[in-house]
Amino acid sequence: MHRVVAAIAATQTNLRPAAFFDENGSGMSVTAQLPNRREILTEVRRSGYRPVAVLPYHYPRALLRAHGFHPVELWGPPDVPRDEGSRHFQPYTCDIVVRATSFLLRGGLDGVDALLVPHTCDALQGMGSVVGDFGPVAPPVLTLYLPRGERPADREFLVAELRRLAAALEEIGGRTPSVVDWDEAFGAEDAADRALAGLYDRRAGLAATDREFYTVVRAREYLTAEAFSALAGSVPEGEPPGGVPVMLSGIVPEPMTLFDHLAKMGARVVADDLACGGRRRYDPPAGGDPFERTADRILSGPPDPTRGAPIAARAARLVEQMEKTGARGLLIYDVKFCEPELFDVPLLRSRLVEEGFGVLHVEVEMGTELPQQTLTRIEAFVETLQ
Amino acid sequence: MSLGARLRHLAAYRLAGRAALALNRRREERAADRRPVDPTRALTPPLRSSARMRQMMSEHYLEGRHASGVRPVAWVTSGAPAEILKALDFFIIYPENHAALCGARRHAQALCEAAEDAGYSRDICSYARTDIGTALTGNTPVGRLPPPDLLLCCTNICQTVLYWYRVLADHYGCPLVLVDTPFQYRETPLEHEVAYVRRQLEEIVPVAEKVAGRRFSEERFTEVVAEAKAASELWLEILERARHRPAPLTAFDAFTHLGPIVDMRGDAETTGYYRSMLAEIDRRIADGVGAVREERHRVLWDNLPIWYRIGSLSRWLAERGVNVVASTYTHAWGELAPLMDPSDTFGSMARVYMHPILNRSAGQKLDAMRRMVGEFEADGVILHSDRSCKPYSLGQIDQRDGLVNQVGVPALLLDADHNDPRAYAEEQAAGRLEAFVEMMAR
Ligand code: SF4
Ligand code: SF4
Repeated sequence: MHRVVAAIAATQTNLRPAAFFDENGSGMSVTAQLPNRREILTEVRRSGYRPVAVLPYHYPRALLRAHGFHPVELWGPPDVPRDEGSRHFQPYTCDIVVRATSFLLRGGLDGVDALLVPHTCDALQGMGSVVGDFGPVAPPVLTLYLPRGERPADREFLVAELRRLAAALEEIGGRTPSVVDWDEAFGAEDAADRALAGLYDRRAGLAATDREFYTVVRAREYLTAEAFSALAGSVPEGEPPGGVPVMLSGIVPEPMTLFDHLAKMGARVVADDLACGGRRRYDPPAGGDPFERTADRILSGPPDPTRGAPIAARAARLVEQMEKTGARGLLIYDVKFCEPELFDVPLLRSRLVEEGFGVLHVEVEMGTELPQQTLTRIEAFVETLQ
Repeated sequence: MSLGARLRHLAAYRLAGRAALALNRRREERAADRRPVDPTRALTPPLRSSARMRQMMSEHYLEGRHASGVRPVAWVTSGAPAEILKALDFFIIYPENHAALCGARRHAQALCEAAEDAGYSRDICSYARTDIGTALTGNTPVGRLPPPDLLLCCTNICQTVLYWYRVLADHYGCPLVLVDTPFQYRETPLEHEVAYVRRQLEEIVPVAEKVAGRRFSEERFTEVVAEAKAASELWLEILERARHRPAPLTAFDAFTHLGPIVDMRGDAETTGYYRSMLAEIDRRIADGVGAVREERHRVLWDNLPIWYRIGSLSRWLAERGVNVVASTYTHAWGELAPLMDPSDTFGSMARVYMHPILNRSAGQKLDAMRRMVGEFEADGVILHSDRSCKPYSLGQIDQRDGLVNQVGVPALLLDADHNDPRAYAEEQAAGRLEAFVEMMAR
């Protein structure tokens, strides 16, 4: 097995950093080499772009870029305690919202020019509303209502909603994108979308552990499009580590040590339906009005509960992916209190079991380590698949 | 439409059932009239209208038992534009109202547990768990719920309803129509939002026509909207009467009298019912009768009721001289009335259905509470922090702080769940309520 080591020379190339991969088995990890969010913020500013913090998980990247903004996503983070966030949200609020609020209140992303809260679910609705109305965080709060269907009315609304967001960005950034700006933004972001899709397509032939693979996938959350494309393109080909093939579903695989545990248990993630991963395999259209193009990109994502897709469509996609990749079981790894995920679990489970797949559902409170009880359940599940 | 089903509907509902329920109501009213007034009780006798309300709700669910094959059946969310379906003569079930009824009659926990046994997490809305429990087991205190021919889901109360109705659509294999209502972060809806909702409202019609097997009549629709507006106006008037001192009704009365405005809005009988209820309340005001015998503190309630504790909580508070005079929840069905315009049905409905308090930002909700504290001369606010209703509850911590610091009234965050008694810690709640009452007394 080759070890993938990544380094981003962000400072050398402005917003178009290079990515390097070694196969030297040096024991360095991807995470040790990637810049962190703060470093990216500094670099983004130096390059003349305005950083914007973005909550999960569908949003218009090219539109932000054309207006001179660079997104840095917030998925927790898991190592930030809930304390400050708990002064605004009850204990039954998911970790993404509470920890992201803590992080912002601790100054974790001080210096961002705006906070974008897409209307993904009731919890993020609450967060957008609280931070917008009661102002516990400093930067202006932008919202984006995502329609829950794919009907012509939904598309028409989304196009208009994107225009509204664009107007707000223009007001903050003072920049009205030219045709060249739009072309440049679509060129870079569509290439990054294709690079992400390419990573998934090449998954079976990449010499990357799951931890490394998802570190690269998740680098899309904050790297520039060019840096991400370069990083994704330089994951070396080769024999992936072995293990019982499983598919992973849920919002976000935090803590990322999950992958180390899975590897130790003898499992390998061959496909996913993660909000931070496979659910953002967009099929961006080429050409056309920039707002329609942006809307179509978001609507092109796979079936997703937060966009109102029927459960049967979601189950069908899971079955198709599992058959294609040879996954034997589905690990549904949910953030505690995540309603959009929790409602689908029983029906997904019954469809997949009917098709002969194993299914395990775990709910996890974000933290730096997984509870032993959860690990024991996952281990027992992996054993049954073996 | 089968002949057998029609005959059953005629015999069991229209003839025997309705007659029996009418008789029962008269008995209840006579018993109430004969019951001596007990001056030691903290609450004055319940409204006489309660008997008629119970009769109406029982008739509604009785018809439901026999509706399949006679009338098209739709299940709709509580904030959905049911007027369109009413105009097509759908029989309408509101699963949330059914779940509330299960909660009030203490059936909800067993139904929730049935849903949990099937894999539905205890962390999802307890209304959803209650109704999924009914769908899975067939158990319900109303005898039987007719399965839906159509599901109509409107996201103006939460996104939860869409997750839930996707489960129902899968379970019953019927069409699901969605009316997605953009959340209102701002005071006034934007044009593209209104256009979006309007278009979706118009798109309900062909789907519903197909399911109902009949043509939509604009004329009938206008009549239904006018009737719904009239009933909503009366409902609002009733609630506003609680501004009087002593208040002639409590928010707990309003919670229990909410059924017709939710389930039967648009029916002439509902309008008639609220007209007579308003008259009864006006008589109480004229006679100087308050709902709480010694009203010393007036309180505003935020969020859903705790259905399984309605009676005990209202007595407990009344015994301490507390009258919960208003709630943001019950007002939601009244404050939309002024926006309804029978001369511009779809246009006005697009605005109406985006306006419920649950579809407006946390800051707007605080403004609404601030206004209500003033209008109802409330001395304090109880914010029910409802574990399984995230959209209503998230934001309450800042709202409480705003009420205490800006409005200057005591405000209590009371942890519970609207339908699942396992999330209610009786002693802890009593202790916190005691402290809250003491604070108002200072
Ligand atoms: S974890 Fe679930 S509930 Fe929380 S923000 Fe993400 S989608 Fe919403
Ligand atoms: S989450 Fe709240 S608003 Fe939504 S159905 Fe449940 S109780 Fe009603």
